[in-house]
Amino acid sequence: MIQKKTGRALATTALALLLSAGVVAMQPQDAKAEPQRGGTVQLAVTPEPPSLMLGLFQNGPTQMIAGDIYESLLRYDTDLTPQPSLAESWEISDDQLVYTFKLREGVLWHDGEPFTADDVIFSLDVFLREVHPRWRPTVNAQVASIEKTGDYEVTITLNEPFEPIMLSFEVGTTPMIPRHIYEGTDYRANPMNATPIGTGPMKFVEWDSGSYVHLERNEDYYLEGRPYIDEVYYRFIPDAASRAVAFETGTIDVLTGGSVEIFDVPRLEQQDNVCVTTAGWEMFSPHAWVALNVREGALAEKSFRQAMMHAIDRDFARDVVWSGFGTVANSPISSRTLFHSTDLPEYAFDPDRARELIAESSYDGETIDFLVLPYGETWTRWAEATRQNLEDVGINMNLVTTDVAGWSERVGSFNFQMTHNFLYQYGDPALGVSRSYVSSNIVQGNPFSNVMGYANEEVDRLFAEAANAASEDRPALYQRVQEILVDELPVLWMIEMDFPTVYRCDLQDFITTAIGVNDTFRDAWLQQ
Amino acid sequence: MPLLRFIAGRLVKGVIVLIAIATMNFFLIRAAPGDPASVLAGEAGAADEEFLRQLREQFGLDQPIMTQLWIYLTDIITLDLGFSYRQGRPVLELIMERLPATLLLTGAAFIFSLTLGIIFGILAARRVGKWSDTAITTGALFFYATPLFWIALMSQIIFALWLGWLPNTGFRTIGAGYTGLRHALDVGMHLILPATTLGLFFTALYTRMMRASMLEIAGSDFVKTARAKGVPEGRIVRRHIARNAILPVVTLAGLQAGQIVGGAVLTETVFGWPGIGRLMFEALAQRDYQVLLGVFFVSSAMVVLFNLITDVVYRVADPRIEVGR
Amino acid sequence: MKAFFKRFARNKGAVVGLIILAIILAAAILAPVLYPTSPWRMVTRPFLPPMSPGGFWLGTDALGRDVASGIMHGARVSLIIGLVSTLTALAIGIPIGALAGYFGGLIDDALMRFTEFFQTIPAFALAIVIVAILQPSLYSIVLAIAIVSWPPVARLVRGEVLSLRTREYVQASIVIGQSTSRIILTQVLPNTIAPITVMASIMVASAILLESALSFLGLGDPNMMTWGYMIGAGRTRLIEAWWISFFPGVAIFLTVLALNLVGEGLNDALNPRLSREGG
Repeated sequence: MIQKKTGRALATTALALLLSAGVVAMQPQDAKAEPQRGGTVQLAVTPEPPSLMLGLFQNGPTQMIAGDIYESLLRYDTDLTPQPSLAESWEISDDQLVYTFKLREGVLWHDGEPFTADDVIFSLDVFLREVHPRWRPTVNAQVASIEKTGDYEVTITLNEPFEPIMLSFEVGTTPMIPRHIYEGTDYRANPMNATPIGTGPMKFVEWDSGSYVHLERNEDYYLEGRPYIDEVYYRFIPDAASRAVAFETGTIDVLTGGSVEIFDVPRLEQQDNVCVTTAGWEMFSPHAWVALNVREGALAEKSFRQAMMHAIDRDFARDVVWSGFGTVANSPISSRTLFHSTDLPEYAFDPDRARELIAESSYDGETIDFLVLPYGETWTRWAEATRQNLEDVGINMNLVTTDVAGWSERVGSFNFQMTHNFLYQYGDPALGVSRSYVSSNIVQGNPFSNVMGYANEEVDRLFAEAANAASEDRPALYQRVQEILVDELPVLWMIEMDFPTVYRCDLQDFITTAIGVNDTFRDAWLQQ
Repeated sequence: MPLLRFIAGRLVKGVIVLIAIATMNFFLIRAAPGDPASVLAGEAGAADEEFLRQLREQFGLDQPIMTQLWIYLTDIITLDLGFSYRQGRPVLELIMERLPATLLLTGAAFIFSLTLGIIFGILAARRVGKWSDTAITTGALFFYATPLFWIALMSQIIFALWLGWLPNTGFRTIGAGYTGLRHALDVGMHLILPATTLGLFFTALYTRMMRASMLEIAGSDFVKTARAKGVPEGRIVRRHIARNAILPVVTLAGLQAGQIVGGAVLTETVFGWPGIGRLMFEALAQRDYQVLLGVFFVSSAMVVLFNLITDVVYRVADPRIEVGR
Repeated sequence: MKAFFKRFARNKGAVVGLIILAIILAAAILAPVLYPTSPWRMVTRPFLPPMSPGGFWLGTDALGRDVASGIMHGARVSLIIGLVSTLTALAIGIPIGALAGYFGGLIDDALMRFTEFFQTIPAFALAIVIVAILQPSLYSIVLAIAIVSWPPVARLVRGEVLSLRTREYVQASIVIGQSTSRIILTQVLPNTIAPITVMASIMVASAILLESALSFLGLGDPNMMTWGYMIGAGRTRLIEAWWISFFPGVAIFLTVLALNLVGEGLNDALNPRLSREGG
């Protein structure tokens, strides 16, 4: 992870940096500054989320805000090692089929009701099984039963070993839902969705539509003394330039990842008391690529796709378009998660090689449409640069813009030729990677499925086998699948993305987990 | 009571126009690619068919389109603007929450631009050809020809970032807990930049119109007569020229007042002003049909209302004028 | 005609406007000659300030594209959008206004209700929705601008026709049995050209402003280099690279200014009654 801090005070802030990087474990206990109570933090989040009901909505901004209202069984450190949260401890049987979670006692929902095993059963087996698009496939395919084995004990039994399930208990995938509020109701119409009740360190106070969400300290939180910060405001400022100005003028203390345009980061970083971190995204490790509709035309040919890979200047994209943030990607599996292979051929930026390959292909000058990902200016610039790269080797390009709805609709119905996309990896290839390449996931309506239409029986088989294989067998299987995909290029991997968070250095222990941008305020405190 | 009959007639026509607008917008908006469910899927970064089906069912989007239209129109007649798909709240509530901010912004911009426009217009007309006239007309042309968003960006950088005099975004200082006079002052500080930016274009417009109107009336017979009778020049300008010149300017301003409400989208976006213009733009991007339709309905209703008020004021102010169509 | 030019030339502003306009037109025509490569091409390092060596007089943008080339090529697109959308608006507004004014009665009533309908919907919001629905492209932008800007044309033409049709020569044509379409086309419309021309010059200016506003909101054609696009793309870097959006802003300003000045000059020249002699 990149940790950047410039300016004169480098030495004095080194400690704070290490702490905020989430490598607390490496620090001797006495070197750690004593957290202080109190203070207000204002964060910019964009766009304004549809809802804060984390079970029903998984939008980025929903997760950022509600990640402190709700909690799940586990948290993860930045190496993706499970840590206790609502589960105090857990045991995995030797055959890797039975997972037993011991819950923390004395936890209260924000409305004062006690949190028990019944809530866990309701959340995992009923509520989320019905509504959650990521938990649903896992629970339906892999889980045999979820049982209450004590007031504070829950046992999950699997059909087959499925190692990645231990990465599913983060708050975005399996938030604990209060049974006493939702059981027997129409979940999506429940009026309590407007005033979310969780067990987390922050309580919902108010949502002033178009302006902000206000959270306050949960006085009854089960960790003594925590959280440290009294009030948190998540502000909605629609214009990126205004957000940057608001940060500079001190209106806002934190620009969360995605709410700051990446090219503003180096400038903001120059200022006093400004820290920048790319930590807190390890679980997601967003992987950016150009998706190709491989069903027809030149795009159906491997050599043409390889030509494009040689034609696109990924270093330029990283250095100029993304202001130096991110790592050039060479594999379907991010180097920041498990099972990434370093032993793969690389496609160098080589326009001449690209022209050769195009000459060998059936490409005959037809115009190829590139659908611009409508997620802000940087993506538009990137599309423009990509168009130029491809035109330089003789491919005629046409950019097409639309908004999120149009993009989602077109990509989800396979009505595109090329587009940028970035997908979260969720720590394990079985959770975040295979979904893009297996032929069983060529389904309409969802822009995050195998929209490319890529089908390869061996890839299907390898992914299926690897998901349920024993730990020691998995690396070899994933190595093989990476080799095939890197040769065939169903998508053109571009960059392992960084979403830097820009914040005032007074904020300590700010981002400490693998989803640190979401579950910030259990540990964060303000140096006063 | 011809005035009352006139108002009633206009109201009936207004309602018919509004229903026609609602119907057209309904189909227009449905023609856009994607729907609220696909937006939520696109934003969530994860979705499956079941997720989309559940959302569409919840939103009532699985009903035939004519059924949806019928439901919408029958609701709208009872002023029920429906529910926001995205936020699960009544549209009327959402709009009413945002409307005061927009009315404050546009109202301030309107008064600011009309007052300044009339003053500058009179000043320029009185000193035609002199340097102050040139300065005013050049300034007016400058603001007339410069893109609004450009001025918005520049003013943010100058007044918020460099000088630090004014806040650059938002409606009030969040978390400060101001009340009473302090609150009003705080909102006022936040209002200055957006209202000025929005108002500058109209100031320029009204200045030019006022000037032209002044000059036209200055050349008319009754002014010449007054001058011949030896009425003092200051009195001529005040009582004879300015008075008559203001009427057409105010009329046009009134007709535009309704449009300003819809035109505040850019200003509200750049300055993070939580008004209905931004609500509309976001609802469009999110395909939150009901909210989008609701904002269109309310702002169109505003136009109808302002036009009516203008006509009535005009009629009362100058009974000679036949307020036909 | 001579008198027309004389009256036009008397308005110094109008002459200045005409000169500016000529320069912009020349830029638009000469763009492919002076800057033969695409304005989208990344030619050098990004963020070169103005007057940089290598001939980058106006600097380069975030991807190393030449701002000067963008301005020149942008002039073409901006002018084309301004002209075509104005012509489209005229093509909608003139027939509606002429028919309404000429026939009066029920037709007038219906057409004016229709016009009112479009004037009641907030114009900018409607333009945004149209472009978003049709997806941003040259055509959808032109269409959106035309749809929101024709009503004033219809009202103007209707007013003119209303007064023209009572004139003796029109009445005479009716009496001798000329066909209605012939009367409208040969007797009535030619006499509305003057006010329409004045209005059209202003409309081109508004169209350019409207296009830039749409581009600013991200609703521009991604394959067309326009000034509005350049400002929108450069605005977030205003603090460290002011030139990216400053120069296209100046270009829009000058064009709109010039068109307005010319419009005023035309007004003076074509409607001598209303010329601003002033007191």
